[in-house]
Amino acid sequence: MSTPNDTLDCGHTLAELSTYLDTGEFADPGHLNQCPECQAGLAALGSISALGTDLRDADIAAAGSGTDDWMQSILDNLRLELRPGRSIPVRGGHADDILSETEGAISAVIRSVADALPGTAAGKCRLHGDVGTPGAPVTVSVDLAVVYGHPLEQRAAELRSQLAETLSQQTELNITSIDVTITDILAPPPSADRTQTTPEEKP
Amino acid sequence: MTGSPPAPHHLDAVPDALLAGRAADGDTAAFETLARRHGPVMRAAARRLTGSLADADDVVQEALMQAWRQIDTLREPAAVRGWLLRITGSRSIDHLRRRRFHTDVDSVEEALDAGMAGRPASPDPESSAVSGSRIEALKRALAALPEEQRRCWVLKEFNDQSYEDIAQTLNISTASVRGRLARARVTLAREMEEWR
Repeated sequence: MSTPNDTLDCGHTLAELSTYLDTGEFADPGHLNQCPECQAGLAALGSISALGTDLRDADIAAAGSGTDDWMQSILDNLRLELRPGRSIPVRGGHADDILSETEGAISAVIRSVADALPGTAAGKCRLHGDVGTPGAPVTVSVDLAVVYGHPLEQRAAELRSQLAETLSQQTELNITSIDVTITDILAPPPSADRTQTTPEEKP
Repeated sequence: MTGSPPAPHHLDAVPDALLAGRAADGDTAAFETLARRHGPVMRAAARRLTGSLADADDVVQEALMQAWRQIDTLREPAAVRGWLLRITGSRSIDHLRRRRFHTDVDSVEEALDAGMAGRPASPDPESSAVSGSRIEALKRALAALPEEQRRCWVLKEFNDQSYEDIAQTLNISTASVRGRLARARVTLAREMEEWR
């Protein structure tokens, strides 16, 4: 049941050859080069796999683009729930008010600042420290991708200063440092791309 | 709400790993960019596994929902494509099991084969876009394979999953995966007259 009854005259099986195609493992590697039967078997199985790749490519092409309606309707149905993260207390105008903002909202602010700089996009960002305790020291780390040709150190410095300003306005966190790590250099987009690839984004 | 206001399409140029990191932070725009980027291959795999385009879209939707919930557990953000395809494979198999539970097995096999054969009677713009008689012949040979072999074959050739991943997805041993895959390939090769 687990292997086909396809044993070649040389004693090896088609199942062994099939596994060799995927893993490169074979009990007697030297044999493969000398055995015409194994060579023919490998060629036949390999050509089926190659044809499988052609079918896959055709199916992917037939599946349509990710900007088509089918994907839009899937995305509309998903209604991704938000990831609020930790809750961060905020002082209210009145002593009785209990206010807070979420870590997720602050990440969004950090991303929007980073994305607004020329030629940059934010990656993941983290608030380290006890954000639940007012005044506790908090450090921010942000991954940043920069489009090739933009000055890296300058972008990182701009991001640090803009984040310091924005976060001091929009949060009460005691931010002691902002660490920017440049994780990717992006290929510059072909200029025509900007208008062409704009999908209908959700409002 | 957590999107990237300036220009969401500017995320199109951003690599998977970065988007996965943002998505793990709750950035829905980054997640949607990943979904649009890898949706077509997910849909193609789900279609071959379930045998129907409508089921494929249900599967893609379920897979993306699971991916959104679990993306903060993704160990290697750069490997997000393979991860999405593994989820798509699992959700496809679940979908088939649920359907099997409600329907007579034989009728499912027939429906699948009819679906996989390209539904000749109905106008299908997608199959007309597919050129090449050898690909059409492969589709027919694939449709004639026993269901369990076809699953192994699609998970390997479409999703590029390891034997261990396939074994886990199908809840069988890796030795069974090896055997079913070999049988599938040998049968397809014979059908396609690859041996002379």
